[in-house]
Amino acid sequence: MAKHRRIRPLSDNVLLEGRNVWTVNANPGVAVRGESLRKFRGVEHRRWDPNRSKLGAGLLRTRNDPSNLLPKPGSTVLYLGAGHGTTISHLHDHLCGASNAHRGRLVAVDFAPHCLRDLTHLAENRPGLVPVLGDARKFDAWGVLVPSRIDWLFQDVAQAGQVEIFLSAVRRFLSKDGIGLLSLKAASERHQDGSDADIFATAVAQLSAEVELIEHINLTGFEDQHALLTVRRK
Amino acid sequence: MWLWYSWQSAAIVNENGDVLDAEINNARFSVHAAKDRLKLVANGQLPPEAIVLAERFPNAAPTAHGSDELPEFDAPQPTMIQMKIADEAALMLAKEGVAISAADPNRRLEHLLRASEELRTLHLTMEARLVEWVGLFLPSARFETNRSQVAGKLSDVDSLSDFASLLQVEDAYEQPSDSEWKALRDWAVTVSNQARQLDRLEHAIRLLAQKHLPSTSTLVGPLLAARLCVEAHGRARLARLPSGTVQVLGAEKAFFSHLRSGTAPPKHGHIFMHPWISRSPRWIRGKIARMLASKISIAARLDAFEGAPMGQDDVDQVEAKVEAIRKEFPKPPRR
Repeated sequence: MAKHRRIRPLSDNVLLEGRNVWTVNANPGVAVRGESLRKFRGVEHRRWDPNRSKLGAGLLRTRNDPSNLLPKPGSTVLYLGAGHGTTISHLHDHLCGASNAHRGRLVAVDFAPHCLRDLTHLAENRPGLVPVLGDARKFDAWGVLVPSRIDWLFQDVAQAGQVEIFLSAVRRFLSKDGIGLLSLKAASERHQDGSDADIFATAVAQLSAEVELIEHINLTGFEDQHALLTVRRK
Repeated sequence: MWLWYSWQSAAIVNENGDVLDAEINNARFSVHAAKDRLKLVANGQLPPEAIVLAERFPNAAPTAHGSDELPEFDAPQPTMIQMKIADEAALMLAKEGVAISAADPNRRLEHLLRASEELRTLHLTMEARLVEWVGLFLPSARFETNRSQVAGKLSDVDSLSDFASLLQVEDAYEQPSDSEWKALRDWAVTVSNQARQLDRLEHAIRLLAQKHLPSTSTLVGPLLAARLCVEAHGRARLARLPSGTVQVLGAEKAFFSHLRSGTAPPKHGHIFMHPWISRSPRWIRGKIARMLASKISIAARLDAFEGAPMGQDDVDQVEAKVEAIRKEFPKPPRR
């Protein structure tokens, strides 16, 4: 018998079981990236691998209530730098659920066609996921897909000037008191700007000048040279 | 005064956030029509509703939905059905964009070049194994000069003894077992097929590079041109790189070790494979590499901005410069 661990729901579709996060599979029977599938009370869940998803790692590392990191199910959210869609798939489980029962919208923007290819395949079976092939910085090109201000924004673009991009996205899309999450990769900034700690300190200062910094989550161990910064728009 | 627009509506807004005029299209679009409108907006063009308003208010600055420049105002919202259609259209547009990305020669070239690199590594390893393997049974055979023919010849014969007589060497003292011989021969067939496959890959690279990078291909040959283009992450970026970077493309390890710990800087990266550099004496390679890199930069810019391609006379001029450098420094510098 496996050791019985404490199970704690983070939302309707997300639960924390010991040091594992599981989401109700919105596309039953299918694992997106070979993650484990397991039934809890007869409902199939997918394991949210913290080593592959910075948001997943953030849920385990945060010192606050992890459910505060997640958007409200059924809302419209924006994800910049969608990648191959590992995080996106779990976020979709939480936000939309099977057949988009919660009526959520997840607008996922990425620049690379090979990433978008995976995302479009994902979107086929996951209504509510809206993939966009475009530059995360060129808001005018796809901003019309976000008709009103949103309460939750995630950015994970591995390129220099991440903080500036994030702040302009916050200004443009986030509502007052909306939550923004910035996955900051130190290695994407210029080497001359100093050590990783210096880069994170600069980013924190830059963010604090404009928005309220809620938490600086260090992801070392799951994703080295990365931090997850959560902010609230003032 | 601003001309606010979305993919299906437009409005005129003044400094106070008052809506002076609006064209709101609540029609139930087909997914295709919605996709065309999203594409229009993505390309920075105006949807029909905005064009109507632009004629009525020529002074209003067209500004996409959500821009920071707009004053706070209640932007007209699309209907629920329209949102649903827009989401489907966005998926369709994304798929279209992904499909179109295959037209990019940079990405095609990258796959061809990396494939040939991987195959070449594998081929050389497998060929070395084959020569050692045959050499174990036929110790008197010598393959130094015709290693590359071993695979082809071996895959045409039916036994190791036939191979020995073909090479006119002593037959094996210890014969391989039947199953062992079959495995050995399969190995040889694979190696000889790899050689053919490599030729095909390189032929495809040459053709594509000559089309995509005509000037650079004329100057340094299509294979090196293709490699530089892939290493620079595309033709447009190669054209924008300073020629000092072109010179050391492919020598990143040495270059960053130079920056970090002050070791000697590299004088050449991939361009070393050009005979003007690799066949020149050591002490002038750096000078030739620097000159050649600057010419490659010019060629890459001709390619990227589609100018008149370089011809043979341009290449001859560069070669004359190489000769001049060789003549000027016939002896190594005194230390």
